[in-house]
Amino acid sequence: MQQLTKTVASGKSTLTILHDLSLSVAHGASLAIVGSSGSGKSTLLGLLAGLDVASSGEIYLAGNALSGLSEDGRALLRAKTAGFVFQSFQLLPDLTALENVMLPLELSDRVDARHLAEQWLTKVGLSERMQHTPRQLSGGEQQRVALARAFAPGPAILFADEPTGSLDSATGLVIADLLFTLNREAGTTLVLVTHDETLAARCQSQLRLAAGRVVSQQGLAA
Amino acid sequence: MKWSMNWMLFRRSLAAGEFRTLLLALTIAIAALSSVGSITERVQHLLLGQANETLGADLVLRSDHEIAAPLSNAAQVQGLRVAKTATFPSMVGVHPQASAPVAGEMPAAASSISAETEPAALTLASVKAVSGLYPLRGDLRLQDGSRISAPQAGQALIDQRLQSMLGIEVGAILDVGLLQLRVVGILGQEPDAAFDFSSLQPRLMMNDADLAASGLLGFGSRVKYRLMLAGDALALAEWRLQATPQLERGQKLESVSDARPELKDALDRASRFLKLAALLAACLAAVAMILAARRFALRHYDMVALLRTFGATRRQVQQILLAQLALVAAMAALLGGVLGWLAQSALVALLKSSLPASLPAGSSIPWLLASVLGVVLLIGCAGPMLMALAQTPPLRVLRREIEPSTRVGVQWLVTAVLMLGLLYWIANDIQLALMVGTGVVLALALAGGLGLLLLRGLQRILPGATVKIALRQLQRQRVLVAAQLGALSLGLMGIALLTVVQSDLLSAWQRQIPAHAPNHFAINIQPEQASAVAQQFSQQGLAAPTLLPMIRGRWLALNQQPVEPERYGEARAQRLAEREFNLSVAPSAVSEQGKIVAGQPLQANIPAWSVEEGLAKTLGIAVGDTLTFDVGGIPISAPVANLRQVAWESFQVNFFVMGSASLLQAQTGSWISSFYLPPNQTQWIASWVRAMPNITVIDVGQVLNEVQRVITLASSVLRLVLILCVLAGLTVLIAALDTTESERRREAAIMRALGATSKRLAAVWWVESLLLGAVAGLIAGVCASVLGWCLATQLLNIPMALNLLLPLYTILLGMFLAALTVWRRLRVFAQTTPMVLLKD
Repeated sequence: MQQLTKTVASGKSTLTILHDLSLSVAHGASLAIVGSSGSGKSTLLGLLAGLDVASSGEIYLAGNALSGLSEDGRALLRAKTAGFVFQSFQLLPDLTALENVMLPLELSDRVDARHLAEQWLTKVGLSERMQHTPRQLSGGEQQRVALARAFAPGPAILFADEPTGSLDSATGLVIADLLFTLNREAGTTLVLVTHDETLAARCQSQLRLAAGRVVSQQGLAA
Repeated sequence: MKWSMNWMLFRRSLAAGEFRTLLLALTIAIAALSSVGSITERVQHLLLGQANETLGADLVLRSDHEIAAPLSNAAQVQGLRVAKTATFPSMVGVHPQASAPVAGEMPAAASSISAETEPAALTLASVKAVSGLYPLRGDLRLQDGSRISAPQAGQALIDQRLQSMLGIEVGAILDVGLLQLRVVGILGQEPDAAFDFSSLQPRLMMNDADLAASGLLGFGSRVKYRLMLAGDALALAEWRLQATPQLERGQKLESVSDARPELKDALDRASRFLKLAALLAACLAAVAMILAARRFALRHYDMVALLRTFGATRRQVQQILLAQLALVAAMAALLGGVLGWLAQSALVALLKSSLPASLPAGSSIPWLLASVLGVVLLIGCAGPMLMALAQTPPLRVLRREIEPSTRVGVQWLVTAVLMLGLLYWIANDIQLALMVGTGVVLALALAGGLGLLLLRGLQRILPGATVKIALRQLQRQRVLVAAQLGALSLGLMGIALLTVVQSDLLSAWQRQIPAHAPNHFAINIQPEQASAVAQQFSQQGLAAPTLLPMIRGRWLALNQQPVEPERYGEARAQRLAEREFNLSVAPSAVSEQGKIVAGQPLQANIPAWSVEEGLAKTLGIAVGDTLTFDVGGIPISAPVANLRQVAWESFQVNFFVMGSASLLQAQTGSWISSFYLPPNQTQWIASWVRAMPNITVIDVGQVLNEVQRVITLASSVLRLVLILCVLAGLTVLIAALDTTESERRREAAIMRALGATSKRLAAVWWVESLLLGAVAGLIAGVCASVLGWCLATQLLNIPMALNLLLPLYTILLGMFLAALTVWRRLRVFAQTTPMVLLKD
């Protein structure tokens, strides 16, 4: 991303959430975006993933400039390149674990959706729970399903928003291990938002934000 | 996008109850529309079938000269059944020599005929020569009711009048032209007799193979030919298309709709009215669908945001949502179709005894139409909401406070336009559609607003903490509660109004009819028979009936301007202007002339007309206008002296147009009379008619029974529709409860956390629902009573007391229906614990 700025209208004045940020993440690398609440980390993640548009500056996702793309163009790009893991899991409550994992695969018209989903659920240790709905699963299990769902389509880049934020420390550790293992095996680029310093430390590089500005960065080429 | 994924999402949402209310509401709408559609179609088929029977065929070509063979040959080629008739007046007499050879028979067979037959004077008869297949529709029956086929060569069928005139029995030989025909039966019923102009003369029916030999069809004979066709509708249409350009002067095609426009009009109007009633159910269901769609949208923001995050385009999301809607529609069409079919079948089974004949089976067209209407309704109600849902920004996965902008105004506008379109489609009249549409919206708003006011009033009066909490809950969601009150009370009001109209109004009307109102009409009495008729009556111990002249006249001109029926816009006005009028002479006593609403009474010595008020309005006739009628070829002109009101329900003989004595005294016509005959004296009519065979007696009682049967059928269908309306109102209740379910669950948890017992919570819900039902019932009952009363006293001038018990019944019914929803809520909230708060 280059000279990224995000402003929002707040009454009559304009509020700048992100100030002139520039960085690049190499293919297969991992980046942690850290900072306190309100520092702009989630906004940055949303911009990087093309969920939102920057006020100025440019973002290249897997080599594609996002500013030239429409909402649907960005959606298609996400379908091809990006995977997501959220703090609150974001599983569809009425669908089974298997169906939740199949969902993005079906959206990409993958004919082997069911087979792939089963493979990934087995990989995250849920081969026995495929037909269970989120309500019947613990928080850790739900996040495993979310991981399987994120990795199953084989994304080039994975965006994770506080992936362990809703879990107890022991379960969080297990999920983090699983996330990094799968990421390594799949060779996926990882962009992770967290306020957990231990989790951030496991990434190859870290970007620290405060009030929308970069206060420090490690392992990153500016 | 894979269909399997759409199916999977639909299945899961269905199992989770997301579509329950939408499905229920749409099912009810489709059931209402399809059951009404099906039953009106079946009745229409029955009545058209009966009307075809009175035509004797499906299509008739009438001609004043012989019909060329190619036309009938073409019909046969197209697989149609064909029959021919030729009708003409001819003198008929009893053959003096019984042993004379009979056409088509061997002399030996004829010799068995009794030689004692007395020769009788010749009499004029209407001879009808028919081909072997006649009649194609309906039955030819003998007097004992048994069915008989067309007479064969050498045979004749005669009616009772001819039998009486000639004084003969079955087996007699008649001279018909050069032929002798043997009488093989006395005709009791001839399906197409009503369409014969000459049916006033006695009938002799023979086979058309004998026509040539009879020598009756000479030059100048007044013969009416008919080519009758029956069979497949498509083949008939095709033949009609081919035949129309070949028609010559004096030839005319007639089908039921051509021959009986008033029947077709009446049917169209009745079915349109019932369909509009069914649309009321659909309107109420639409309110439920809008609420259900709103809830669905609210609960699916996350799913859509997630799908968009995964890379689904807006189009893909729209496709997914549309597929969900399509599946809901398909399922509702199936369920609604079954429910509608069951409802109308049950209704037909219940009414079996009062239906005129067994109804023909219905087609699937009403169901298909209802399903299409249902889909349009669903798109109108849920479409805009779901399309807005598709706009959910993907960023919601990170910021839950982001919601798509739901343009409520656009949503309602789309729904209103679609509903109006549906109304217009069914009513076929933009003014009526607008009136019904506005009426329903106003009624909903009024009932809802009134209900809210009542609830507010109750809050001040009713004591008790539970009641206060319940009333506070109802006051909070005003729009939702108003929608619930409006929908439920509208459904209940429909049922209540029908009850008032059907039972109270009918009985009030029946009380209006004098105990000894005439129950018979006698027509075609010849002027010279007047004294003989009076004598017949006095022999039976009955008072001599009042005889009124009935003079046929064609309306020629209004204020010297020739009458042009096509200039009238209204179909009824066109028909009235076209047809022959029955004119009569007004009684000399002013008190017997009816209630005059404009102008002066007729005076015997001043030539003038008196016109019925309604007819005058339809045809644009005013006091002072000059009317000219052609009576027996002589134009008769006079000014209109007055417009009068006619009490049709009095069952006295009434006329649209009456002339003063000096205007019509020179004209000849037959006489008409109405009289009351006690039920035990009806046997006498048969002997009277036998003595004076030209007179026709009509039993009004039978006509009234027919009318009663039609009313029973129509009101039963309406009742079914209104029950579905109430059910639709109930779905609004459920949909509104669903909308607030999560809030309610949270509230329940807070109340439980604060120490409320489950009993206390249940009591609040009971009171809340029962109050809602009671208020809706009260509004419905009071409005129905007042509306019914207004209808009776103001519109129909029937004195009727307000039915004060009705609101009590509707309150109880409303409370019962609302109670059904409590049971649902109690089940949902039974497991609610304060833990919900912690989990959230």
